[in-house]
Amino acid sequence: MNIKTNLIFLLVLIFSFYSCTKIEFEGPSIENLYGDFEIIKSLETINKNPSFLNNEQVSFHCEFNKPVKWKIAILGLSTNAYKEITGFSEIIDSNTIIWRGGPSELPFFSAEECAIQLTFENEVDTIRDTINIVSTKSYENGIWFEGFEDGLPDEGLVYYNTDGGGMTFSLGNDNPLLGNYYFKMGGRVNWDWVLGNIDLPVNINDVSQNSDNLFINIGILSDLEDLHTGQFINILISEETVTPFNDNLSNNASDLFESTMEVYKMKIPVDWNGWKMKSLRYSDFEPVSPNNQDINFNMNPNDIRAIRISCQACPSSAGNPICPENFGKNVRADIDHIIFTTNSSLLDQ
Amino acid sequence: MKRKLIQLPVFLAIFFSTFGLHAQMNENIWFDGFSRSYFTRDALDKSLIDDTISARNTSSGYNLLDLNTHVNPIQNIEIFAQLRIRNSFGSFFGSGTEINVRQLKAKGVINNKIRFSVGDLFLKQSKFTLYNYDEELSVYENDMLKFYRDIIHYENFYNENRWRLQGIQTDFSFKFDRFIRNLDIDFFVTRPRGSFQINESNYSSDLIYSGGSILSNINKRLKLSTNYVNLFELSSSGTKNISVRNPVYDISLIHRYNSENYHIQQTLQAGFSKRYWLHTELENAVSDSISNDTKGMYFDLENKFSKQDSSLFLTLGFRYVDPNFRSAGAQTRRLNYDDINRNTIYPFYTNMSLIRPPSMFDIVTDDQLYNQDLSSVLMAFNPIYSNILPYGDATPNRIGFHMKAIMNNKNNLFHAKFNSGFFKEAIGQGTSDKRKFGLISGLLKINLHEFLNWQKKLTISASSENEITQRGGKDVSKINFFSHHTNASINAELIKKFFIQASYKQLNAKGNEFVTQRDNYGNISYFTLTDVDQKDHMLSVGMLYKFKKNLYAKLNYSWWGMTSFDQNYLNYKYNRLLLILSVKL
Repeated sequence: MNIKTNLIFLLVLIFSFYSCTKIEFEGPSIENLYGDFEIIKSLETINKNPSFLNNEQVSFHCEFNKPVKWKIAILGLSTNAYKEITGFSEIIDSNTIIWRGGPSELPFFSAEECAIQLTFENEVDTIRDTINIVSTKSYENGIWFEGFEDGLPDEGLVYYNTDGGGMTFSLGNDNPLLGNYYFKMGGRVNWDWVLGNIDLPVNINDVSQNSDNLFINIGILSDLEDLHTGQFINILISEETVTPFNDNLSNNASDLFESTMEVYKMKIPVDWNGWKMKSLRYSDFEPVSPNNQDINFNMNPNDIRAIRISCQACPSSAGNPICPENFGKNVRADIDHIIFTTNSSLLDQ
Repeated sequence: MKRKLIQLPVFLAIFFSTFGLHAQMNENIWFDGFSRSYFTRDALDKSLIDDTISARNTSSGYNLLDLNTHVNPIQNIEIFAQLRIRNSFGSFFGSGTEINVRQLKAKGVINNKIRFSVGDLFLKQSKFTLYNYDEELSVYENDMLKFYRDIIHYENFYNENRWRLQGIQTDFSFKFDRFIRNLDIDFFVTRPRGSFQINESNYSSDLIYSGGSILSNINKRLKLSTNYVNLFELSSSGTKNISVRNPVYDISLIHRYNSENYHIQQTLQAGFSKRYWLHTELENAVSDSISNDTKGMYFDLENKFSKQDSSLFLTLGFRYVDPNFRSAGAQTRRLNYDDINRNTIYPFYTNMSLIRPPSMFDIVTDDQLYNQDLSSVLMAFNPIYSNILPYGDATPNRIGFHMKAIMNNKNNLFHAKFNSGFFKEAIGQGTSDKRKFGLISGLLKINLHEFLNWQKKLTISASSENEITQRGGKDVSKINFFSHHTNASINAELIKKFFIQASYKQLNAKGNEFVTQRDNYGNISYFTLTDVDQKDHMLSVGMLYKFKKNLYAKLNYSWWGMTSFDQNYLNYKYNRLLLILSVKL
């Protein structure tokens, strides 16, 4: 092989490998990782007087020189309601970063002035702004809702252990989550798990979402005064479509929650003080009788016929001393504002 | 009684096997082997005051015998077994004694035509397909500390840049009377890692490494060789439905020219690799797919000039390795910087019980830091000790020229080496600006006894290795990193076969560099900014008695440590006394 052939071969190869690599550089940008942070465009709050009742929304826009972890905190100056929006990007885009008026946790916002604060992880910069809520959003835009404002629902069934002490299981109006009324569940049944339950018929046969996109939201009230540490709420949802809701009139409970039926369950320990909004994805519920081969647990929201909310607690008396430390303590797991939502939880809507 | 029952057969085995070493029993069974007695006493230096937790000094050591048994049941078959008997100092007889089969191999020739080996294989191909590159700081190792390097290589099966793998190999050749002169063919299939249990219900897959070579002497001057290797997992042998594939293809054309006074060789080598993870047996009848797919090529042109009297060797070359070139057999590093690999000597230090990072001394002396397993992703490296070619010639993302020279004085007065390389990245890392690398190193060994016409030996040697890495561009991503490794030693034969030795090693590193972090699939996930201003030192004095070529006794004392100029609390100093008796049987 002569030198000329070698050189031609070499040149062809050099040109070919120069064209091999298409990307500009490997790995994450060092400038993004270590460069000084700069705010290119300051925070812009779009719609400073939102009327959430009319489905208005507040959007935010801000631009930086590199991607950062940012946090927008919105604080209700009267209610102390709080909403947090976070992200990692080099732009807060007003098309996607939107607030529709809901809090991250209870309490809800009221018509009030709110302080807005934009902060960045590992950076000292803080941008502040204020908005004024003209009207609060409605929290009743679900596919099924029960707020106890008109008393107990006509077909609703309430059962509780009448041998217990200080049993509540009735409507209250002293501390509702929203509106004027809520349903109280509590008392003292030291010898058994079950205190009582409320059964409500549900009809959402026009829902098109699957179980991943159906959320059951429920407000639960408890307190920390002499807290019963083993108290919880058990939610059962029945997809039994043949049996009537109240088939056996001799008992005070629905007949749609038998172990031979397509029933799903979720347990919620109640160990906090005040109201808390729990949002449960329906697909996270588990079958009550998973080993029963005769039941097709296909979990179809269309088929939901009833919901049972049970108040239960770990027994503590000498005859059944599983949680002896709770002996003599009252259980409290009151509920309000039960609402089924689609695609997102109530507070995220 | 029970202990005596154990002692008796072990004693008899050692006694008779040693006897056999000398006797070489008969032509069907013969023995050789290796023996080493090794004792160290390590101590904190008196100047160290901020470490009251560590032991002031520790001692350890062992005796070992590697007995090689060669059995030739028939003329063309040999069974080889290496049995290791190792006894740690300080342990009771029996409880501290380990007996292991260290190597096992059968090899032979079928019908005087096809050669085969089964068991432990030592394999090497081209520098881009299968090659076990030397570790850092080893290029110009001085004579005094060479025994440490020999131990590291022996204990980790580093044999002539070969990887030790277990499997089967065969080779055969054809001779032709026209077109080409001969054709040598070689194949191997090995299993670097077997399936193992990850947790209660998951098992990893077998890792297989296979390949082959075809080499042909086209005529007296031209030689063509092709190599192929593939590292892959057998997903059916485990419970994971994701398995790596890393085939590498290589071709090289070698042109040689011989004259009466000199020899010239030009090598043109090119190839490419693919690496991806195959997802199989997916749920819901989803068809197989691949992820993290990378393809890369390389090209190397090397020109060698050498004088026939071996007084001068010159090498000049140009190399390009694509950023996405991946070859497990060529890019697996000997030095393993994974967190789990801690130093054997004083793994923790200071009163805060910090993990002591490996220093120059540890790299030179600690055989436990080294790796014997092929890795499907690029392993971590420390830029202080090797930043330009951490994966040898197969280091990805490099383009540049390299030059080497070796000079040997005809009268054996001196021996000199020179090595240089100027590279840059093919694409930047974390920025579009590219790193530029400069490497210059040299060694000079002077045989003073030849100058002075002494019968006894007196040699001095000195070497220097310098690496500089720079990157321009914006201030935030600029790099200016420099490391300098110097080495000086003297070796004086006082009386026949008895030497007094001294050596000093020092490594300075200063500047800033962004250390690359990679995810499980080898993709860069982060760059850790590292500012370094550090000096490692190692001063050793000792004596050596060479009974004969492969039998020596050595007594050595070393002062070593690390100084960090910007973080004084990380400084440390230790001392070591070492005694070694090494016998190659």
